[in-house]
Amino acid sequence: MMTNPIAPKTAHLAGPGLLAGVLALLAALLLTLALAAPAMAQTVRPPANATTNVLPPGPEMRGGVLGNRSDGAIWHDIRKGAAGESQDLRAGSGVLIQSQGEDWRLIRNQWVLPIAWKVLAGVLAVLIVFFALRGRIRIRGGRSGRVIPRFSLVERVVHWFVASLFILMGITGLIILFGRPFLLPLIGPGAFAALASASLQGHNLFGPIFIVSITALFVTFARGNGFRWVDLKWLLKGGGMLGGHASSGRYNFGEKTWFWWASLCGLALSLSGLLLLFPDHLPGFLQTASAEVPPERTLMQWATLVHAVAAAAFIGFGLGHIYLGTIGMEGALEGMTRGTVDETWAKEHHDLWYEDHKAAASANASRAEVRAAAGDV
Amino acid sequence: MSFLQLTQGPLWYLASAVFVIGVAWRLIGLLRLGRGPDRSVARRSGVAGALKAIALHSVPHGGNLKRTIYHFVTGYGFHLGLFTLLFFAAPHVAFIKGLTGLSWTPLPRWGFLIAAEAAFAGLILMWLRRMTDPVMRRLSDADDHIATWLVFIVMLTGCLALQEAHDSLRALHLLCVEALMIYFPFSRLMHAFTFLVARAYTGATYGRRGVTP
Amino acid sequence: MKDLAETPPRKIDTQAAIDRFLAACNSHVGAYLDACIHCGQCSQACHFHEATQDPKYTPALKLQPMTRVYKRHKAPLSGIKRMFGLVPPELTAEYLQETEELIFQSCTMCGRCTEVCPMAIDVASVVALSRQAFVAAGLGPADLLQAAENSRDKGSPLGLTPEVLRDRIEWLSDDNEVEIPLDRDKAEVLVTVSSIEMMKYPDSIVAVARLMNAAGLDWTISTKGYEATNFGVLSGRSDIAKTMITRLTDAAESVGAKLLVIPECGHAYGAMRWSGANILGRPLPFEVLHITELVAKLIRDGKLKLKQAAESVTYHDPCQVSRRGGATGAAREILAAYSSDVREMTPSGNHNWCCGGGGGVQAMASAAALRHAVFQIKINQVEATGAKTFVSACANCRLTMDESREVLHWPREVQSLVEVLADRLEG
Repeated sequence: MMTNPIAPKTAHLAGPGLLAGVLALLAALLLTLALAAPAMAQTVRPPANATTNVLPPGPEMRGGVLGNRSDGAIWHDIRKGAAGESQDLRAGSGVLIQSQGEDWRLIRNQWVLPIAWKVLAGVLAVLIVFFALRGRIRIRGGRSGRVIPRFSLVERVVHWFVASLFILMGITGLIILFGRPFLLPLIGPGAFAALASASLQGHNLFGPIFIVSITALFVTFARGNGFRWVDLKWLLKGGGMLGGHASSGRYNFGEKTWFWWASLCGLALSLSGLLLLFPDHLPGFLQTASAEVPPERTLMQWATLVHAVAAAAFIGFGLGHIYLGTIGMEGALEGMTRGTVDETWAKEHHDLWYEDHKAAASANASRAEVRAAAGDV
Repeated sequence: MSFLQLTQGPLWYLASAVFVIGVAWRLIGLLRLGRGPDRSVARRSGVAGALKAIALHSVPHGGNLKRTIYHFVTGYGFHLGLFTLLFFAAPHVAFIKGLTGLSWTPLPRWGFLIAAEAAFAGLILMWLRRMTDPVMRRLSDADDHIATWLVFIVMLTGCLALQEAHDSLRALHLLCVEALMIYFPFSRLMHAFTFLVARAYTGATYGRRGVTP
Repeated sequence: MKDLAETPPRKIDTQAAIDRFLAACNSHVGAYLDACIHCGQCSQACHFHEATQDPKYTPALKLQPMTRVYKRHKAPLSGIKRMFGLVPPELTAEYLQETEELIFQSCTMCGRCTEVCPMAIDVASVVALSRQAFVAAGLGPADLLQAAENSRDKGSPLGLTPEVLRDRIEWLSDDNEVEIPLDRDKAEVLVTVSSIEMMKYPDSIVAVARLMNAAGLDWTISTKGYEATNFGVLSGRSDIAKTMITRLTDAAESVGAKLLVIPECGHAYGAMRWSGANILGRPLPFEVLHITELVAKLIRDGKLKLKQAAESVTYHDPCQVSRRGGATGAAREILAAYSSDVREMTPSGNHNWCCGGGGGVQAMASAAALRHAVFQIKINQVEATGAKTFVSACANCRLTMDESREVLHWPREVQSLVEVLADRLEG
C-alpha cells in the first residue's frame, strides 16, 4: 500500500486556438470539482439505497480461551474460501469473503495502482527532462510561408472530439483510481466523497460517448496508418533524433504506433467499461448461477484491472503525444487546428508525404492546363 | 445560510426574475418596433404561412440536407437531448413539482442516459465545428462561445450531481443554472424565443406569396 | 473586384448609413438580426460560396453591418449592455467599404439561404435594406447606380427612351408582321417590357405580342410607363424605386387596365407584384401577373391552341418568380403544354440555384468574374438533365447566362420560354 501519497503532477500546456479551448474545458472541470470540494462534510447524505447500521465485527468473532480457533486460523480458512452455512441457498452464498475477490483487491492495490502512478509520473519526468535537455524541436529550415493541407475538417473535428472526452474521462478516471490514496488525505472525507461521487457520475456518463468517439477516430484515421518498411528504417534512425534524416510518409512510426496503441487501449477500455457500466446486462451465455464464483463476478474483477491498466497505458502514451503536438515541436499543432502545415515542416518530418502531395498537386495543375488548352476552362 | 440555501433561495429568485423580466422585455421590445402594413394582394393566407413556417421549417427541405447533415444530426441530438433532460429528468420533475405543484412521469434511468449522451455529444461536436470550420470561425463571436460553455457547464454539473447524495453538488449545479438564466436575456441564447418571431415573419411573407416550403 | 483605381476616393457619410439603418429597423428585420445563431449553414445554400468555397461569401455575414447598428442603438436591452461595454462598435467608413462587396457584388437576393436557415432568416430582405444605407453613405457600384439614374432620367436603364421604344416597336411590328398595340387610349391589359428584352432579345416582344393577339386580349404597351425592371429597388435608391412604380401605375390607370403584365423578368415581378403597393403607399388598382402566369391561365382557359412536341426541355426557375414569387407552378403548366419530355434540374422549382446575376449583380462589371464562376453550377445542372432545349423566363437570367456561357465556352443556347412557346401556336 502507498503510505506517502504525492499529489500527481499535471502537465500544464499552453497552446493557441483550439487547444486553449480544450484546456479551458479541463480548467472548467477542475474548477467545478474544486467548488464542489470545500469542506461540506456536514451536507453529505448516504444514497437512498445505502445500507446503514452495519456493526464492525464484534468480540464474538475472536478466538477464545476455551480452545476455540484463533483469529489467525479463522482468517486462514476464510481466506481460502471455506464455506460456512447460510439461509441463502444460492451458489457461493455460504462463503464469507470471496477469496478471489481478496486476490483481486491485493493485485489492484499492491500492483496495479503503484505501477500505474509510477509509470505516469515517470513519463512526465522523462518529458520534462527531455524538454530541459533538447528543448523545442524547431523547424530547422525556417518557415517557408507556404502551407499545405494536412488534416481535413472531419479529421480535426474527430480528433478534438476524442481529445476533449479523453481529458474528461482521464481526469475523472484518475480521481476514481488514485483519489483514495492521494486526495482523501489532502481534502478530507466530506469533500472527497462529493468529488468521488461527481467523478463517478461524470465518468459513467461520458463513457458511452467516448466509445463513439474512439470508434470514429479509428474509422477516420485507419487509412495510412498501416506499418511499412520505411517505418522500420525510421525506427532504426531513432526518428531522426540520433542525427541524420529519417524518412516517413504521412504518418511516421511513432504516430502509427500511437494510432494502434490508442485504438487497442480504446477497445480494451470500451469493452471493460461496458462490463462495468452494465454488470446486470451481460449476454446470456456469460450468466450462470451454478458455479462457486459466478462468471460475471470474475469478469467484473478482470474488467476493473484491464480498465486500469489500459487507462494508464493510454494516458501515459497520450502525455507524450500531447507534448510533441504542442510545446515539443514547432509547427505540429497547426496541422490539427488550422488544418495546414508549413511546407518546410512537411519536408523535415514527412518528406515522402510531402513529395506525394507535390506530385498530386502538379498532376492536377497539368490536367487543368490540358483542359484550358482544349478551350474547356 | 449554507451554500445550498443561498442557491435555492435568494439567488434562485434573483435569477428567475432577471430571466423572466429580461426575456419579456426583449420580446415585447422587439414586437413594439412594429412594421407597416403589407398592401400587396395576398395569394394565400399569411397567418397560415406563419404557423406553417414555425412548425414545418424544422423539417429539412430544399434538397440541402446532405450538405448540412452535420448540423442536422448534432443540432437535433443536442436540442432534443437537452429538452428531454430539462423537462423529464427525475430530479427536474421533482424540482418543478416543488415549485409549481405540477408533476408528470419522469424519464427512467436509461432514458436519462440516452438523452444525456445525445445532448453532450451534440453540444461538443457543434462547438468543435465552430472552432474548426472556416465559415463558423468567421461568424463566431465571444457570445457564441460563452453561451456554449455555460450550457455545457450546466449540463456537466447536473450530471455530476446525478447521485443526488451531496448538497454541495446540487448547489453547484443550481449556481451554474442561475448564471445561465441571468446571462440568457442578454445573449444569443434568446434564439430559443426569437426563432418563433423570425420564422413567423418569413412564413407570413412567403405564405402571402403562395410559396409552399 | 473593385475598380477603385479609376474613380476618385469617395466621401463616405457614415452617419447617413446609420440613420438609414435605424429607420429600417422594424420588428420584422429586428427579429432576423436577433435570431442569427452563427451556425453558417447558409453558406451551403449560397451559390457564391458554392462556386468559390470562400467563407467570406457566407450569407449570415451580410447581416452584420445592419446587426451592428441594430444591436448598438435599437435592440431591446442594448442600454444595459452598453453600460457594460457589450454593444458592437459604431460603423466606420472602413468597415462599410470592407463589407460593400458582400452587400452588392456577392448577393443576388435569391433567398436560397432562407430555406436552409434554422431560423428562416430572410437575408435577401436585409441586404435590400442594407443597400439603401450603403447608397445613402455614398457607396455602391457606380454602374448599378448609373443604371438606376438612367431609369429615372431616360425611362430605362439601357437607354430605352419613349422615342426608342416607339421606333423599335414599329420596326418589330413591320419586320415580323405582327400587331403590337402602342399607346391605345383604353385597354384591359397593360403589357410592360424589360429593356433587356427590347434591346437584346427583341424576339421576346414579338412572341408576347403573338400570344396576346392569339388569345384575343384587349392590350397595349404605353410610352407613359413601360419599363418593368426597377433598378431603384436593386440599387437601394428608394426614390427611384417609387418613380418607376408610379410610372407603371399611372400608365395602367390612364388606360383603365384591369391587369398589368410583367414580362420575363424576375425582379421586375417581385418589385411590382409584392413590393409595388408598399413602395407606392396604396393598394394597386389592378391585378399584376407575370407573363408565365398569364400564359398558363390562357392555356388553362383554352384560349391558346398549341402543338405539343416530344423535344426534351429543361427550365431554369428565376428566383424572384419561383422561390420568392410563388409562381413556380405557372411555368410547369406552360412546359407541359410545350413538350411531353420536361426534365427538371436537381434541384429545381423553389429550390433552384440562382443564375448568379439577379439583384442587379448582372449590371455590376466588378462582379463579372464571380458570376462566371457561379455559372458552372448551372452548366452542371443543365448537362445532368441531358435536355435538348434550355429555357428560362427571365431576360436578366438569360443575359447573365449568355455572358457567362461565352466566357466559359459552353455551347448551349439559353432560350426564352415565351419565345419557344409562341413558335408552337397553331394556325
